[in-house]
Amino acid sequence: MAIRELKVCLLGDTGVGKSSIVCRFVQDHFDHNISPTIGASFLTKTVPSGHELHKFLIWDTAGQERFHSLAPMYYRGSAAAVIVYDITKLDSFQTLKKWVKELKEHGPEDIVVAIAGNKNDLGDIREVPMKEAKEFAESIEAIFIETSARNAVNVEELFQKISKQIPPLENPEVESNDSFKLTRQPSSTARRCC
Amino acid sequence: MAAEDLPSEFDVVILGTGLAESVVAAACSRVGQRVLHLDRRSYYAANWASFTFNGLLTWIQEQNESQTEEVRDWSSLLEEGEELLHLSDTDSASITNLQVFCYTNEEDEEEEAESADPLNTTEEEKPEEFSHDVFIRSDFQTVTFLNQSQAAQTPGEEPEAARPHPSAAQSQSEPTRKKLSYAQLVKEGRRFNIDLVSKLLFSRGSLVDLLIKSNVSRYAEFKNVTRILTYRHGNMEQVPCSRADVFASRQLLVVEKRKLMRFLNSCMEETEEQQAYNGRPYLDFLRDQQLGDNLQHFLLHSIAMVTEDTPTEEGLASTRHFLRCLGRYGNTPFLFPVYGLGEIPQCFCRMCAVFGGTYCLRHSVHCLIVDRDTNRCRAVIDSRGQRISCSHFVVEDGCVGSDRKKMATRAVLITDASVLPGESDQQVSMVTVPPAAAGGPTVKMVELCSSTMTCVPGTYLVHLTCQSTGSAHQDLSPVVTMMFRTTESEEPGNEHGRPFVLWCFYFNMADGSAVEVEGHQLPCNVYVCSGPDGSLGHEHAVKQAEFIFHKILPDEDFCPPAPNPEDIIYDGDEGAAGQEENQGEQEIYLQNHTEHNAEEEEMTPKTTKEKDKNQSRPQTHRNTRSMQH
Repeated sequence: MAIRELKVCLLGDTGVGKSSIVCRFVQDHFDHNISPTIGASFLTKTVPSGHELHKFLIWDTAGQERFHSLAPMYYRGSAAAVIVYDITKLDSFQTLKKWVKELKEHGPEDIVVAIAGNKNDLGDIREVPMKEAKEFAESIEAIFIETSARNAVNVEELFQKISKQIPPLENPEVESNDSFKLTRQPSSTARRCC
Repeated sequence: MAAEDLPSEFDVVILGTGLAESVVAAACSRVGQRVLHLDRRSYYAANWASFTFNGLLTWIQEQNESQTEEVRDWSSLLEEGEELLHLSDTDSASITNLQVFCYTNEEDEEEEAESADPLNTTEEEKPEEFSHDVFIRSDFQTVTFLNQSQAAQTPGEEPEAARPHPSAAQSQSEPTRKKLSYAQLVKEGRRFNIDLVSKLLFSRGSLVDLLIKSNVSRYAEFKNVTRILTYRHGNMEQVPCSRADVFASRQLLVVEKRKLMRFLNSCMEETEEQQAYNGRPYLDFLRDQQLGDNLQHFLLHSIAMVTEDTPTEEGLASTRHFLRCLGRYGNTPFLFPVYGLGEIPQCFCRMCAVFGGTYCLRHSVHCLIVDRDTNRCRAVIDSRGQRISCSHFVVEDGCVGSDRKKMATRAVLITDASVLPGESDQQVSMVTVPPAAAGGPTVKMVELCSSTMTCVPGTYLVHLTCQSTGSAHQDLSPVVTMMFRTTESEEPGNEHGRPFVLWCFYFNMADGSAVEVEGHQLPCNVYVCSGPDGSLGHEHAVKQAEFIFHKILPDEDFCPPAPNPEDIIYDGDEGAAGQEENQGEQEIYLQNHTEHNAEEEEMTPKTTKEKDKNQSRPQTHRNTRSMQH
């Protein structure tokens, strides 16, 4: 099975649980006192999808969303974006639209968008009705799901849904762009082909 | 996104997100300093930025708007023994003589073209009546639409023909080119990444070394510059620079090939013969090597990239640097970042953020609070009137009113064809254009193709740079007229030889190479980062950043490798520190796009155990985006 690397970027206000969702997904772990994202800015997990294996390269905001200063490079080459809001905070849902707009502006054109209403274990203090969020997601053709990183609800499902929406690789030749990352000791032999 | 207040205490406050500032930010944050990184602009990278086409139009408009900031009295925020030092809040002097020209049609000739146009993959983005009038209103730049009548009668193309798929890039055999209209440029605008500066990375230059050393390289991808060209006797010629090129060259005589190879081999060693030429022009040295005009031209202008009066020792040093950079990643010494140069400062900013740096755009510093006795900056007052204490303050040169004597001249063109069409339409070319008259400036030109993600398929983005002698348009329009055609071009017979300019703009930008880090009558813990310098490489900014870092933290390591973020998580607390020492593990991350798959596999099961409970992960962990070609 071929491994396909898919960059996924997380968006959403500070404190809605972006890092917690990834932490749950990748490590199946929940930390009540997770500090605002430091260091853990990039995590990966591989899941099977049809005839492929999807290796999610999940980029966290590294806190740059706090003062609304995410750099466009954050979105480069993303196959999918997960926009997270907190179902107990109406504000975080209202700013969702700003994140969608920012994504349309800076993100790749064919990006798969998923909206995750997190903290659904706190239903008793819910401020965002599920119906309203779902309708908004439908209006922008985004995946919608309510999650609880704390209780491990729908986190796997979120990424499965994303996997399903990723179009299969049509032509692997086209995909293999000859751009590359810089490495410490590039092999002179491998590249001396001409 | 709420209007949250910034924390009020940091170790280092940095204003401006240019390259040097961003490197300082990453370096400080990396060794544990609390960094606040601000920019008064709404975008990253200051004068190093890249813009989408629409973003660029906005930027052009902004250059014309004078921002007047009312001076407020902050003295209530002062403590005993402190005084205020106001910063200049505008950077207007860094960009001058901005002129925009549009040579393509304003609108599509056929509106229903959308369905047939493979470029239009988005559904919702309509070409909103983008306001050209913003240019016309402005009084310090001009926009000229020189299109309608002439463009329609361009011979050799049938504007009325049912639009053929303008997918020259997709089906390379398709000879009919349909010029993109201005409306289409706007519509496809987000697929452009237009740099304000035009630079390249030397494959063994200090920026490449720093990216690799710090592991910031993981955030960016690069492409090789695929060929070196030079403009000579009215023709574009490819410069043979590697052994393979020399042997494959069809334009060099066998004798020349032998001479060139002998010269390239011999100049790597310092000889007594060379020393005898110290202080004398490199051109004299080359002449005496009996290389002939052709080779002399290539060596002086395209390989050493120096002028006729550059001393021999300098010319030889540049030649050696060029040769040393060959073959590290490709057949030319140069690299270009995918999505444009503006990515690089952003990558360093991300590194800073990952290690806890705080980022805030659209936020400035109004004044510094200076301790009268020690002449040190104790705190800054931000644009919201908050006092933020800091031990060091780093600022871009525009905010301290440094004098700008030296200017660079720039032109950026969107064209419809390459200056030297070849087998592939995806070439990245570095072009040297020697001065037309003796003593004139040498023009450096970089032509980018769509796979660099800086322009749409079917177009090329051309950056021209030289030292200013007059306004940008005065300096560069003769060169543009010589190598490209516009609707103003005469001699219609010759048109097919030269690319057509769809849109272009000219401007002068302050050259930061002469700006000092210290001084400027500033407190002793305030350091100034200069804007982009005029040279092709990035050595100036990297050197400056390292200098400032060591001023702030004399005993700390500059940008040590960041641990692999995955290792921090999996290995728990004791692992994070341990990993940093472990060069072997570092290598694995760095190498995972090349041939070290074997080692990567060793690491994979270790992490798999913890996270993948019921998934079988294949042991053949081949990287699908491998760079071997």
